[in-house]
Amino acid sequence: MTDFTWMIGGEAGFGIMTTGVVFSKIATRSGYHIFDYVEYPSLIRGGHNAYEVHVADVEVSHLNPSIDVLVCLNKETYEKHKHRLTSSSLVVFDQEEFEIKEDIKKIIVPFKKILSDLKGQPIMKNTISLGVSIGLLGGDIDELIKIISEQFSKKGNEVINFNKLFVQAGYDAVKKNYSDLILNYLVKKIGEENLVITGNDAFALGSVIADARAYVAYPMTPSSTVLTDLAAWQEKVGMVVRHAEDEISVINTAIGSSFAGVRSAVGTSGGGFALMVESLSFSGITEIPIVVFIAQRPGPATGMPTWTEQGDLLFSVFSGHGEFPKIVLAPGDNEEMIELTAKAYNLADIYQMPVIVMSDMYLSESHKSVSKKFVDKFISEYKVNRGKLINEITNNKSQITNESQNSNNKYLRYKLSDDGISERLVPGTPGSFYQANSYEHIEDGHTTEEAQPRIDQVDKRARKWTTYLKSDFSMPKVYGELEKSEMVFVSWGSTKGIILQAQKLLTAKGVVSALIHFNHIYPLDIEKVKALFKENKKYILIENNSWGQFGKLLMMETGIKIKEKILKYDGRPITAEEVVHKVIKL
Amino acid sequence: MATIQDFSGYNPTWCPGCGDWGIGVAIKQALIQLGLSPSSVAAVFGIGCSGNMNDFLNAYAIHSLHGRALPNAIGIKLANHKLPVIAIVGDGDCYGEGGNHLLHACRGNHDITVIVHDNGVYGLTTGQSAPTAQKGFKSKSTPSGILETPINPLVLTLTSGATFVAQSFAGDAIHTISMIKAAIGHKGFSVVNILQPCVTFNKINTYQYYLQRVYKLGEDYKKDDFKIAVQKSLEMNEEKFPTGILYQVKKPTYTDQLPQLKEDTLVNRKRFTDFDKITGPFI
Repeated sequence: MTDFTWMIGGEAGFGIMTTGVVFSKIATRSGYHIFDYVEYPSLIRGGHNAYEVHVADVEVSHLNPSIDVLVCLNKETYEKHKHRLTSSSLVVFDQEEFEIKEDIKKIIVPFKKILSDLKGQPIMKNTISLGVSIGLLGGDIDELIKIISEQFSKKGNEVINFNKLFVQAGYDAVKKNYSDLILNYLVKKIGEENLVITGNDAFALGSVIADARAYVAYPMTPSSTVLTDLAAWQEKVGMVVRHAEDEISVINTAIGSSFAGVRSAVGTSGGGFALMVESLSFSGITEIPIVVFIAQRPGPATGMPTWTEQGDLLFSVFSGHGEFPKIVLAPGDNEEMIELTAKAYNLADIYQMPVIVMSDMYLSESHKSVSKKFVDKFISEYKVNRGKLINEITNNKSQITNESQNSNNKYLRYKLSDDGISERLVPGTPGSFYQANSYEHIEDGHTTEEAQPRIDQVDKRARKWTTYLKSDFSMPKVYGELEKSEMVFVSWGSTKGIILQAQKLLTAKGVVSALIHFNHIYPLDIEKVKALFKENKKYILIENNSWGQFGKLLMMETGIKIKEKILKYDGRPITAEEVVHKVIKL
Repeated sequence: MATIQDFSGYNPTWCPGCGDWGIGVAIKQALIQLGLSPSSVAAVFGIGCSGNMNDFLNAYAIHSLHGRALPNAIGIKLANHKLPVIAIVGDGDCYGEGGNHLLHACRGNHDITVIVHDNGVYGLTTGQSAPTAQKGFKSKSTPSGILETPINPLVLTLTSGATFVAQSFAGDAIHTISMIKAAIGHKGFSVVNILQPCVTFNKINTYQYYLQRVYKLGEDYKKDDFKIAVQKSLEMNEEKFPTGILYQVKKPTYTDQLPQLKEDTLVNRKRFTDFDKITGPFI
């Protein structure tokens, strides 16, 4: 059975990230599943980068406590991660660069010598590392060469062949000197076809599937790769991607595009979202659909830009001045990210309100292998539902006159309705007009300060929530058997895979547990959610923040108070082992 | 053809004698003369006395937030580049709260028309000084006189990349109509700064004040010369106000440069379905 962790570390700016993705792809192309995670500081050169890949026979979305193969391109990699090594771990390094005193399994590779013999650039240490790693893990060197060839296809055969020399040198160094230590963890086998995507890639892909046509953003870690993905695809898929001057412009550009009839989204992190919030409220009262992607990082303010946290939940749920409905979703993994992103666009259109999709650095930047078959099936089954968007009006008059506008057949943008939703007319449609008004308004959109129309419109907007809860809200998923479990975890968003792994570890220790995992965060169906909680069980809240924000939301909405909490807020993801360790103590 | 009644919504609530009346009529006249109807034009209003025109002018419209009309207008244009888009804003709105958006809208040569009501004050919040107020202007928010020097909107937009910059005086409706028509007719980013007396809160920049200081650019004025345009525009700093088209050049607009909009507008194009092209590189 294959289940191991490979890590490469080195100085920032030396291609560690690219190397990590290549390794992940070799693993998936060799028939395995992966989940990877990257640690890097908020700077471009210097500092330390570490990229780890968890490879397994089965689907995974968590990290292992130990590292099986550690490739050290500098001493810092070893020092920072040696606490995760075991007696069987292999450590790759160059004795010419630094010494390791501890008694561990050393794989000494002459990186420096290979570079100078073959006249390579320092960055090509990565290429050597890949050859070394594939050699050590019993992998298929042809797969590696294929990927290298794809990567440099635009640069021509000369560059490809030059890179091959370094791959081969690394591979041979291991085969020759360490044949007895080779782990056959990555032997090529038949597996299903997988995509290697991050949560951000999944949001971008979900957006294209949903026929989103405008994406507007300002770069902000860890959301920026959505912008770069979609910017790269825009001509191919016929989308317009605008990198605006600031986040206020970002959301207002998207609101303008959405008003004009195209599905529009924005993406940012907490700080950028803070700038957008006035306009979220604007989307709320004008009932212009908008999808907002928030990849959280530890705040407040600039915080820790390249690390992870779930600290913006309550901020997102209650964002915006005044009272207006919105929907907040938080996918648990990359598959859910594709599904819920595509659903978010439908919800925004159906309910004509802002829909927030929450991620965090851990989910946004980690690659996970996602079955191509799953994605293809989702694409073929997904239906674009634009709700009550219309591009013609009944009683169409070719020439509008004040008379037709004053008649009973007049189009009313904010017409009162039982479900709270009114027909939304595509601007430019002949024979009518209307205004989307940020002021309180009467049914036709004109401004009002009268009491009754105000009450009518507030109630109408609120009814959209009632309709949503009836028609499109999804209850949390329960993993494990709720009835049989004395211990029940409660979590939301990206902690899902970690807790699923913790449950497995607990089962091995004879502890039966269940997980109630929320991905439709707000609003909640209060009565139905309440019914999930029983008196005689121990509930444990798990969140990647210090306040237990979802716990507070749950208490506020349902009165349910979860006493036991596992909270982590040091910028790192929670691990399954931490959960088990803490649970045993409780 | 549409009539003035077709474009007329509620009766305006502006103060008697306010320059907005003239601008309101000029906008409707310009739209009519361009052959547009309330169905065939998009308007975005800022917040302020100028923005209150939202209820008085019929069109596909957004009454936006304070300062945010320009990005809304840009968004509409991206989605439907065949629809004429105008932003009707005030000086505090566009040069103050939304100043950053203005710079970048100019840079992008987004094909929108920005009509600025420039009265030097925040009328709707009862007369605090605006970014265009003359240095020393006394108001409720600057009781000892404003310390900052005024923004020169003409120089600002010119040097930020606007491809059409004009100025008119609200007291000259005929000229204002022609400026608005030319601006909407211009392909690319166009701005018309309209000098507008606020009869209630601005006792300095009155009709009399402007009548003594505005002058029309001559027929022989070369409007495609950037340096001359900047020079002329700088006269505002000496309280001389040239009116007319100060600058106009042809350059590709933002949407002109997007190959994905060559065939059709974003809102009307067919759905993309060749998903393997996107998923393939992830394998």
